[in-house]
Amino acid sequence: MINRLKLLACALLLCASTAASAHRFHAGMADVSFNARTGSTEIVHTYMAHDIDALLANLYGRQFDLTDPDDQDVLRKYVEARFQVLGQDKSRLRLRWVGMTADAERVTIYQEIEQTPLWKAGAIRNEVLVDFLPEQVNTVNLNEGNAVRTLSFDRSNPEQATR
Amino acid sequence: MTKLRPLPLALAALFIHHAAQADDLVLQRVLVEGARMSQLGIADSANAGTVGQKELAARTVYRPGEMLEAMPGLIASQHSGEGKANQFYLRGFNLDHGTDLATTVDGMPVNQRSHAHGQGWTDVNFLIPELVARLDYRKGPYSARDGDFSSAGSAQVSYANRLVKDIASLTVGQDGFARGMLAGSPEVAGGTLLYALEVMKNDGPWTRPDDYRKTNAVLRYSRGFANNGWSVTAMAYRGRWNATDQIPLRAVQDGSLGRFDAIDDTDGGNARRYSVSGIWRQTDADSAAKLSAYVIRNQLDLYSNFTYVMNDPVNGDQFAQPDRRVTSGVDATQTWHVHRGDTVASDLTVGARLQNDNIFNGLYNTRARQRLSTTREDHVVETSGALFIESATRWGEMVRTVAGLRADRYRFDVRSDRSENTGRAKDTQVSPSFSLILAPFASTEFYANYGHGFHSNDARGTVAGIDPATLEAVERAPGLVRSRGMELGLRTEAIPTMQTAVSLYRLDFDSELTYIGDAGMTEAGDASRRYGIEFSNYWRPLKWLAVDFDAAFARARYRGANLDAGSRIPGAVEGVGQLALTVDKVGPWSGALRLRYFGPRPLIEDNSVRSKGSTTLNGRIGYRINKEMQVELEGFNLANRRASAIDYYYASQLAGEAAPVDDVHFHPIEPRSFRVTFTKTW
Repeated sequence: MINRLKLLACALLLCASTAASAHRFHAGMADVSFNARTGSTEIVHTYMAHDIDALLANLYGRQFDLTDPDDQDVLRKYVEARFQVLGQDKSRLRLRWVGMTADAERVTIYQEIEQTPLWKAGAIRNEVLVDFLPEQVNTVNLNEGNAVRTLSFDRSNPEQATR
Repeated sequence: MTKLRPLPLALAALFIHHAAQADDLVLQRVLVEGARMSQLGIADSANAGTVGQKELAARTVYRPGEMLEAMPGLIASQHSGEGKANQFYLRGFNLDHGTDLATTVDGMPVNQRSHAHGQGWTDVNFLIPELVARLDYRKGPYSARDGDFSSAGSAQVSYANRLVKDIASLTVGQDGFARGMLAGSPEVAGGTLLYALEVMKNDGPWTRPDDYRKTNAVLRYSRGFANNGWSVTAMAYRGRWNATDQIPLRAVQDGSLGRFDAIDDTDGGNARRYSVSGIWRQTDADSAAKLSAYVIRNQLDLYSNFTYVMNDPVNGDQFAQPDRRVTSGVDATQTWHVHRGDTVASDLTVGARLQNDNIFNGLYNTRARQRLSTTREDHVVETSGALFIESATRWGEMVRTVAGLRADRYRFDVRSDRSENTGRAKDTQVSPSFSLILAPFASTEFYANYGHGFHSNDARGTVAGIDPATLEAVERAPGLVRSRGMELGLRTEAIPTMQTAVSLYRLDFDSELTYIGDAGMTEAGDASRRYGIEFSNYWRPLKWLAVDFDAAFARARYRGANLDAGSRIPGAVEGVGQLALTVDKVGPWSGALRLRYFGPRPLIEDNSVRSKGSTTLNGRIGYRINKEMQVELEGFNLANRRASAIDYYYASQLAGEAAPVDDVHFHPIEPRSFRVTFTKTW
């Protein structure tokens, strides 16, 4: 019975991997943690470069160079409108754009909530790429002490409470 | 048993490399470090490519048609007033006003078939460069997606749905040049409203100023994304101009005429273009659908005099070729993305195209734009339909194929002022195409392409009974003329920061469309064969420096038994080249220098009269005052070369001459001139 289950699991995994080659998964990640040294809450987003490239190309019809500060501004405008951290009173906490890096594989974006501990956050709204890719799933990891909480965002769940 | 959780799987899949997917179809992946987009793994031939907005903006462009010169090997010239369609040269062709170069703007055909002045008339003066997001080009008849006029090549211009920033610019220049442009794209009612307005005037260096004035506007509302969304666009263009047509060399040599003088100072014209178009697209992981439709109203009044007083010593030879038309059409394509196993993937695309042209045009003898007599007057209804199927397959990492089949059916219905020239004709063509792409190394691809293409002939020629000018009987031309192309190509990025492509091709045409200089029209002529080689090289040694070097050579000859007059094709360009240095973001500075070589052409079949090649240098320097303001100085023909923009060889007669004289007739390139542009973005 165990062997049969293993066989079934293997078959399912195989199917899943075939599906993976047929359908690209669209996923993004953000790590949120408090930096005691600076007193700020830091957010590091990671997206697939392909998805960001396709997004911008389909918004503006042209190619972008994400190492160019002018072109980074375009992505910044998009991300800032779609990723928000809300306070306990549902007001938007001010997110400072620290910078971003891009290579052929991934785009990494750095933001921070200056002089604000993570516990002040009441909810997160994350619609990055969700408007462009219906299957997009964004995962946000909240690092508090030694505990990590994972929130998942997609088209039907754009906003999640942080506690 | 391990529990299958989709999310960790998805995350694991995040950074696994995948082959291109259906959602890649519309726009491909981008650049790192600002390099030109790599065509490896994307293009089906060595000659195809994409030029992005930044590269287009870095080019120095005297006239909108020169933007198409971003397509390596293409020359856009002018032989008359600025409002007239350009003269194009590509792959050993004198394409006249665009025959055999299929140009589209957002899916709308620009070529006008059965046009009063020239088959495939391509007037791109309505283009607003600031709105152009990308230019995609390919050469040769190797794609089932391309139809009429695409045998030498095709250029697809795409406007942006939204701008990164609103923009206003003001240009002033020598020779009475002034231009103002305003464009923006505010969010309106959940979508984007793109607007642009351009006004321009240009006199040029001519003794009788062109006084070219144009007004140009675009309004577009779009929702969603380019690959999943829709847009509706209205465009309006109006231009009017005086024309300094080509002049006889003999008159310049004997001092009776200056290089920039006109002979008939009433030549010129006015043009209007209005269009409404819509595009809808839906893309998901397994399929992509596109539907577009358009209605275009074009009006042209064109007054020319190429032979002066040869035919009519009293009134002169000026003639008018008015053309009024409504072009409407629908294009639909559907692509399915099919996987077979882990390594084999296909994109199967089917498409349908319908186009109808309702045309009223004519040929009249005029004096000072006043109509004297009618040579011919026609109402043409030209309808065409096309179906194509294309299968693009990746057979693993190293082999790709693209196989296509296209069927075109044309119906020509001509009601002429003479019953002998009235009638209906039909023609059908099936065109196969096949490309094999081998990628034995990660950075190098080899291409073999074969395909059939065609151009349609002027509908009036397909039902012609007599020549209305001479009243001699004429032979009817076929509706569609087949071309057959084959090509071997290589594209490599083996040397880091360098993209190199080489093509070796052969192109046969069953009948060459030839420009008849003294008649001011094109005529279906003999069969032809071309061989050519093209070399295109892009090198970006530093982030701020790019070097382009392109060279193309072609040998074009008529074929057939009846070549007593010679086998050369008049105007067929033998060589084209460019060397460009582009500097970007050196502090606040940017700039470009571009050397352009327009090679020699035989002007007559026996090659006894030839046009010389010419080399011109253009350049620009830009300075960014702050994040929102830029000033730019553009210089044209910096070496102030005296050369021809175009040469023809035919007979003409000037007032005072007793008989027609065979001679070279030329239109000079503009002498050195400068323009300054202030641009503000916000």
